[in-house]
Amino acid sequence: MADRCPYLDYRREAGEQTFDTARPYCTAADEFVQPMRADICAGRYGLDHATDCEIYLAHADDREGETGAE
Amino acid sequence: MSYDDYLDAKPVIVTAALTGGVQGKEAHPDLPETPDEIAAAAAACENAGASILHLHARRDSGERAFSTERFQEVTEKVREATENVVIQHSTGGTGAPDALRAEPLRTDPAPEMASLDMGPLNRYDRLTSENTRATVRMLHEEMRERGIKPELEVFNDGHLNESLAIVDELDSPPYFNLIFGSGTLSVPHPRSLQTMVSHLPEGAEFNVLGFGRHQLPLTTMSIVLGGHVRVGLEDNIYYRKGELAESNAQFVERAVRIADELNRPVATPAQAREILGL
Repeated sequence: MADRCPYLDYRREAGEQTFDTARPYCTAADEFVQPMRADICAGRYGLDHATDCEIYLAHADDREGETGAE
Repeated sequence: MSYDDYLDAKPVIVTAALTGGVQGKEAHPDLPETPDEIAAAAAACENAGASILHLHARRDSGERAFSTERFQEVTEKVREATENVVIQHSTGGTGAPDALRAEPLRTDPAPEMASLDMGPLNRYDRLTSENTRATVRMLHEEMRERGIKPELEVFNDGHLNESLAIVDELDSPPYFNLIFGSGTLSVPHPRSLQTMVSHLPEGAEFNVLGFGRHQLPLTTMSIVLGGHVRVGLEDNIYYRKGELAESNAQFVERAVRIADELNRPVATPAQAREILGL
């Protein structure tokens, strides 16, 4: 199983959106994640954010120099 | 399955696709995700005239779920909330392993119908729903073993080729869901729909699914061409430009009104079973 994306968080609210239960949230895109994309974020089924997510790849350079950045 | 069927006022089957696997409450706050929410939407759609319910399952977080256990929970709630509607489980699952894709077929009782994606399609920039022939064959074989009628999901012309190649293996009548949208889907245009329909084998039944703003015109055209219609929040969250739909049932109500205006009665669940040979 691939690692979970470092940009993935689970939140009940962001901006004007609130939910009864915590949902996947992308801290790179600053928005809640579609369910299908969330499987990439969570590293399920062999999906890997480092190869399968264009949002992660677009922001990966921003993480260079951070401890543990890929 | 022709204009003659329209002229003969053949009943039109309305399928409601309630939830889907791509979007969730982040896109529409009332998209049903929990078993209770899906059951309530199912009852409202049956009351509005839907005779088939296309079901997906979700985790509590809104993320996709494929397990038999979660589908069992959903289908039991839906059966409790509805009278006589036909239950159709999705076997779609971009990125999910084949073994999981088959799990929705294993509820007790089995669904009367299940979707069968007939080939590959792209998702986002880097994801492909592969749906290899081996995967299609595996899912179809399990459907046959469990007495489940497949709805052939034809996302583009190539998938129609794939479907026609196995049509002799299908119980009569084969049921095609012709799908129109962006990317690797069939070009969403009336000409595309007419062309697809012209290639269907004699005796087949077809359903039309148009994503987003294409839902209304192409499903209406299907009614005139003797086909059936699928509507719901899985495929389209807007009732009209800039206006979110109130509910799945709102789409069903509109489809029923249009069918009525076009002089095709809406099929009861019993009529849907008769038309599809369930």
